[in-house]
Amino acid sequence: MQRARGWDEVRIGDEVIARKVQRVLAGAGVDGGRPLGAVINDSLYHERRRLLHAPDDERSRSDGAFHARVRRELPHATSERQRELVREIVERYVGEITGHFDPRVYRFATSVLPYGLSGLMQGFSPTALLNELRGASRLDDYLLLEGEVEALQELVTRGTVVLAPTHSSNLDSLLIGYAIFRMGLPPFVYGAGLNLFTNPITSFFMHNLGAYTVDRSKTDPLYRETLKEYATVTMEAGQHNLFFPGGTRSRSGEIEARVKLGLLGAGLAAYRNNLLRGKDVRERVFVVPCTISYPLVLEAASLVRSFLQETGKSAYIVVDDEFSRVHRWVDFLRGLAELDLRVHVRIGRALDPFGDAVDAQGVSRDPRGRPIDPRRYLFRDGRVVEDPARDVEYTRALGRRVVESWRRDSVALPTSVLAFALLEVLRRDLDQPDLFRMLRSISVDTGVAAVLVEAEVEKLLAELQALERAGSIQLSEGLRTTDGRDVVARGLRGLGIYHTTPVVERRGGQLVVLDADLLFFYRNRLEGYGLLGAPRLYPAGAAR
Amino acid sequence: MIAVLGAGNWGTTLSDLIASNGHAVRLWTRAPEQRDEINARHTNERAVPGLRIADGVTATSDLGEAARGAEMVLVVIPSQGFREVSSALGEVLSPEQVVLHATKGLERETNARMTEILLAETCARQIGVLSGPNLAAEIARKKPAGTVIASRFPHVIEMGRRALSCPRMMVFAGDDVTGVELAGALKNVVAIAAGAATQMDLGENGKSLLVTRGLAEITRLAVAMGAAPLTLAGLAGIGDLMVTCASPLSRNHRVGVALAKGERLPAILANLGMVAEGVYAALAARDLARAHRVEAPLLDGVYRVLYEGLGCEEGLRELMTLPAGRDVARFQSTS
Repeated sequence: MQRARGWDEVRIGDEVIARKVQRVLAGAGVDGGRPLGAVINDSLYHERRRLLHAPDDERSRSDGAFHARVRRELPHATSERQRELVREIVERYVGEITGHFDPRVYRFATSVLPYGLSGLMQGFSPTALLNELRGASRLDDYLLLEGEVEALQELVTRGTVVLAPTHSSNLDSLLIGYAIFRMGLPPFVYGAGLNLFTNPITSFFMHNLGAYTVDRSKTDPLYRETLKEYATVTMEAGQHNLFFPGGTRSRSGEIEARVKLGLLGAGLAAYRNNLLRGKDVRERVFVVPCTISYPLVLEAASLVRSFLQETGKSAYIVVDDEFSRVHRWVDFLRGLAELDLRVHVRIGRALDPFGDAVDAQGVSRDPRGRPIDPRRYLFRDGRVVEDPARDVEYTRALGRRVVESWRRDSVALPTSVLAFALLEVLRRDLDQPDLFRMLRSISVDTGVAAVLVEAEVEKLLAELQALERAGSIQLSEGLRTTDGRDVVARGLRGLGIYHTTPVVERRGGQLVVLDADLLFFYRNRLEGYGLLGAPRLYPAGAAR
Repeated sequence: MIAVLGAGNWGTTLSDLIASNGHAVRLWTRAPEQRDEINARHTNERAVPGLRIADGVTATSDLGEAARGAEMVLVVIPSQGFREVSSALGEVLSPEQVVLHATKGLERETNARMTEILLAETCARQIGVLSGPNLAAEIARKKPAGTVIASRFPHVIEMGRRALSCPRMMVFAGDDVTGVELAGALKNVVAIAAGAATQMDLGENGKSLLVTRGLAEITRLAVAMGAAPLTLAGLAGIGDLMVTCASPLSRNHRVGVALAKGERLPAILANLGMVAEGVYAALAARDLARAHRVEAPLLDGVYRVLYEGLGCEEGLRELMTLPAGRDVARFQSTS
């Protein structure tokens, strides 16, 4: 299929700049829109606030100098000059967003990556890896690729795909990048966080992965709109996209219960724009949810710490964590390998931009399975019209479907099962309604008889198996048993190996918790399923 | 062209109103004799005695003929038949069509709201609810009234306004679909209590106490289910409650009166000859209050009078001897 013909990166960037600038200029001062000067001022204000907390590096200094110049000019700028300044700001943003992107190296990078990660295991530096390509063990050893793989392989030939995974770790982008390669799919465009580019380990890979840059610390509305426009234009050009609709990594450990509608709506915008332009009606957009289930999470410790510290403030972004330290990676991957633990990447059923189920042939289905023509959701008086208020609601519905799909396709693993059952036993014993006090009161002295936990695990297994039969969750192979002892043993091995101190340990007939916060983190993966009649331990949608 | 599904008294009255505003209306009814009466004589005597239905209304008993190509479909079907009709509607509906419903009830067994049923059974997305203090008999006699349309889609509200708004009908807008639907359904349970209070001659003080506490209960419950608290203070909440609790015309009110006379439910329903939504809503209210851990002694009392043989006097005594807590709940900001 001929895709993306004539849309090289330069043209996409130019198109984004032209549209964004045109929209700002058209909107300024009319219909209650702010005057151009106010738009620029607003941008400067947001950027200034961001730079207060930004690291003092070359990038920040260059941004600072640019803002200083704009600020000096603004009071004397003619309206003609103001237009130029808007253009300069948008151009700068687009430059940063597209800065690292080079689709030509995609294929090369994907063939290096699998060896690269395994190389890390042996403690090599990224550059040294290149010399060690042959003979290294494969990433496949860590990864189980499941679900609607064949449907996805078909859909990439029938339209533009947005892959929408859950987000628990910075490893996600690398694993998904590799999974895309393994499935034999064409390149996907990534919206990768800036930290992946500045991180010494991943930057090497990210620069080669067809990734554009997302800087989540930028609050300037002009930046966010430009970013969305960029994703939209790439999709209009037929480039498949990957982004994490949940935004940042889950800090509680729970599967994301909410998604950010901004980027998710780009798929609908692209679909609509193509229809409005009278492009081929077969130019479809498919959203494919996907789950990544880790037996252990590389950054669990700093994620949960920041969750507990900052519950209620969602703007907190973890920067300094295990992710930037090579030896943590080595420990992590070695841990997975030693215990033969696998990360499950599970491809969900595809949706259209309105949240309708899509079959393997790309046909949208209504809730009762009847085929429908999704273009008609955009019709008024027989033709496609633009209506932002309507489209936001469609995107909201899509977001709900994505979240439901994540819950259904999440794979429960022994580490979470043990953590959930054990914390539930402790919670009942301690009878402390305040979460933070409860976690603090768990110490090495609060041992629990292993037999109690095993019985609780067996109850939990029965409930999980019923949920799996109802299609509400997935279980890893090892959980299709009634043997609580075995699951506890495997959970203990997992929770004992990677973290600085073991999360739980068996001492005689007792299970002893050494890190209650991490126990809480792994337990939360099973939050929201109503298991064991346990209450929610923190408000739904609390800072993630 | 606007389709109205259901030729009961509210469906027929709404069809007349919409056609009076100059729109063509296709009114769907299952009963062929009702269809023929409407088309031949422009009356629907069983549903709305004395109404001369506007000329723009054409009746049909073919759902596809009614709904296909309609700019807006207005569903006015009792809650217990709502899913069946929705599922048939799903066979003929196209994604661009707007669907509005005017049913004040919850489905038995599932406790589903009507928009939830529409979303589950059809491809419709641009949907909304019409609710408020609207006694069909008064509107059929061209008396002034106000109503609210709640939808997340401005276009749906716009369409609804175009169809309904006129000098005798003010149409207000809202986006709290859950709140408006729950207000409309749950207030019927309070209306039953108010009917009983009237019959028991409690006096205006006692009646006001009952209705206000009833409002507090349905507000708590609705908010627990995601409604905005102030929705219950609007036309669909207090507005509708005032009408149903004051007017002997209201069916639910009549059920309450009969209960206080000591009549049994099956006999009451047989005499009424129409659906009283509150009778089902009382079941849903009890389930939902339990599920959401909301205290609702008055709603629970109505349930027990209806289904467990509790006497009205006994029920009242129980309510009056409960410890009195806060008058008005403190709601957290929902934003």
